[in-house]
Amino acid sequence: MIEISGLGKTFIGQDGAAVRALDDVNLTVQENEFLTVLGPSGCGKTTMLKMIAGLLPWDQGEIAIGGAPVRGPGPDRSMVFQNFALLPWATVLDNVAFGLRMRGVGKKEREERSRELISLVGLSGFESKRPGELSGGMQQRVGLARALAVEPSVLLMDEPFGAVDEQTRRLLQEELLAIWEKNRLTVVFITHSMEEAVLLGDRVVLMSARPGQISEIVPVPLERPRSSDVGGVERSSDYVNITAYLWERLREMHEERSVVAGSGPSV
Amino acid sequence: MNANTETRAPARTGWVSAAGKVNASLLSLVVAALAWEVIGRLADVPFFPPLSDVLGVLGDLITDGDIFGNLLTSLGNLALGFALSLVAGLVVGTAMGRYRRVNAALGIYVYALLTAPSLVFAPIFFSILGAGQASIVAVVFMYSAFIMIINTASAVENVSDSLIEMGRSYGAGEWQLVTRVILPAAAPMIFAGIRLGMGRAVTGMINGEMFIAVVGLGRMVTQAGKRFDGAEVLAILLVIIAVALAAIALVQFVDRKVTGWVPATSKESG
Amino acid sequence: MVTAARRRPAWVRALDSNLTYQIGTFVLFALGWQVYGTVWGGLLVPTFTETVEAFVELVGTREFWDAMFVSNQALVIGFALAVGIGVPVGVVLGRFRTLERYLNVYLNILLVTPMAAIIPLLVMSVGFGLLSRVILVTIFAIVMVIVNVRAGVRQVDPALIQMARSFGASEREIWMRILIPGALPSIMTGIRLGLGRAVTGMVIVELLMVSLALGNLILEYRGMFNGPALYATIAAILIEALVLISLARLLERKVAPWAPNNQKGANQR
Repeated sequence: MIEISGLGKTFIGQDGAAVRALDDVNLTVQENEFLTVLGPSGCGKTTMLKMIAGLLPWDQGEIAIGGAPVRGPGPDRSMVFQNFALLPWATVLDNVAFGLRMRGVGKKEREERSRELISLVGLSGFESKRPGELSGGMQQRVGLARALAVEPSVLLMDEPFGAVDEQTRRLLQEELLAIWEKNRLTVVFITHSMEEAVLLGDRVVLMSARPGQISEIVPVPLERPRSSDVGGVERSSDYVNITAYLWERLREMHEERSVVAGSGPSV
Repeated sequence: MNANTETRAPARTGWVSAAGKVNASLLSLVVAALAWEVIGRLADVPFFPPLSDVLGVLGDLITDGDIFGNLLTSLGNLALGFALSLVAGLVVGTAMGRYRRVNAALGIYVYALLTAPSLVFAPIFFSILGAGQASIVAVVFMYSAFIMIINTASAVENVSDSLIEMGRSYGAGEWQLVTRVILPAAAPMIFAGIRLGMGRAVTGMINGEMFIAVVGLGRMVTQAGKRFDGAEVLAILLVIIAVALAAIALVQFVDRKVTGWVPATSKESG
Repeated sequence: MVTAARRRPAWVRALDSNLTYQIGTFVLFALGWQVYGTVWGGLLVPTFTETVEAFVELVGTREFWDAMFVSNQALVIGFALAVGIGVPVGVVLGRFRTLERYLNVYLNILLVTPMAAIIPLLVMSVGFGLLSRVILVTIFAIVMVIVNVRAGVRQVDPALIQMARSFGASEREIWMRILIPGALPSIMTGIRLGLGRAVTGMVIVELLMVSLALGNLILEYRGMFNGPALYATIAAILIEALVLISLARLLERKVAPWAPNNQKGANQR
């Protein structure tokens, strides 16, 4: 369980003005919940995720995982990055094994475990390729395998499918669902796609920008497992209604912002 | 703005850090000048005279007017050699970047001449052109032309295909395409090459003048060295550095005028 | 050459290959040189064929190899020093911005200053011996090494460092697994460019101040109006420079094959 209470952070922007990146964020993520976070650019969703990961400091509030306060990166969490963050000089196998190596896992076990995960994400046969030789979708499969290899209890995903094309994105969504349904763990998934947020999440956290705040938490009562019939899920009335509702809320936010636009430079 | 930049928290504004940079440079220059003076006084050796001696000699050179004739000659060599290189750089570079056959015919030779030690050609120019300014201009050309050719070629090659297709779709001919679309689009990267070329041209000027020691600042350095006059060598070196920095500043000034449309962030990547 | 079994368009295409143009350029150049040397060539301008003959003769002489040995002594020692000092300095400057802010102005000045102008000072301080040549070679090469290594360390993707930290990497592990491998392509580029500058330094010091070894051969042949031998010596120096730089380029590709510049078909820059 992740408990976030009163989280706040202020950045000083390029122009010297203070930007309230996060303001009084309160959120509880249940054990084994798949939580998606949706919001316009600049709403602080990635900032919040990196704070949970222990990569960024915050000014106010508290983050606790399983009751223990977060003080930095820890073995209970692993992260999937937006632009993959693969080591260009290392092979697929070494990239997947990176987290295990940092944790001091021996070579033999490391490779065994990495091979398992490489096959889980469907990349068997590519172990000795370098990232430069892979497509974007394959690269993010490597990123996912790397994150799962360390057997985290919390998986943090920062717009993981934002940099791949639509077709690949849909395949990756299905695969992620299938993996998660088999091996439940707590997931916090950042996205800017309403459809993705609804398709994957148990709840969708809707955030608004300046200041970055949680504006609403929308439950997604769609049945699981969803991976076997994604098309059916997308035709269901719940899916259509929730997506439409989210769009309405996002549009309202945009209109509110347009009114105040001009009061400050767009960041 | 994307999710990556939203997490970046620069400690101060661009203006303050730019000013801080200038201050750091100034401060470190002042410290080094003081150290130069002190160490020069303490060491008391002919090859490392204190800064004040060097500035004194520089003052003498200026009041005597000794340096102006040589400076002008040097600048003449520089301007002529650089102008020739620039023309060659733009023409040959564009042709190499645009036409595969030209690139195939010249590419490896231009690259070889870029990496080869340019001064070894000085004896060749000496043998063909004699011990005069023509040889020095030729050395300047050897130093600066090839970097500009290579940069122009890769700048032209890297112009996005969609821009070229856009030009074609509006009926632009080859000449219009090159002058109206390709060269403007390639300009930021071409200027990066011109800046490097200018730096190399100044080096070529000095080295050429030192080898064919008949005129210019290079000859003054050589002669001062032969007299074991360390202060004068350093005084002229200061002048040379000033010439180099001014020449590069000139290129940057023109660059800003010509490529003002380029967003500041993407400029350095060229 | 394409096999004879192919049809006509194939050999037309083969004739249109890059190699044909490369050779064509060289033939044209040699012909032009030959004509110029024959028609206008004075005492000091040999023809192409005379130069080739002189070159063959030159590499058969003891004198030439002695000169090569002496020149390259300074090159090897000076270049080794430049790499040995330049790489650590570049790494430190790339990682510690404050230090870099104070030293940047000097790097910029060193980059544009014609180093040859300090040769008189070197000779005044340490004489005409090996030491002054070594120092000059080092000074020539080290700036290139430092600037490239610094750029390499700086441009390592911050997302990779963050990724490593998210897996609990220590500072030492970040250096070993992220920063050094990430900077390796630039380090190798710095070493290659530094080698080019080192050769330049070697030639310049011998031509301008310390008449010795290869530089002395050039000046001597010029004094004797021995055009072919003069040109042959210059050709030998050029060939050495190009061979060394090609080897460095090869090494660069071997050591850091993942770098975009080192992949097949990448522009040679």
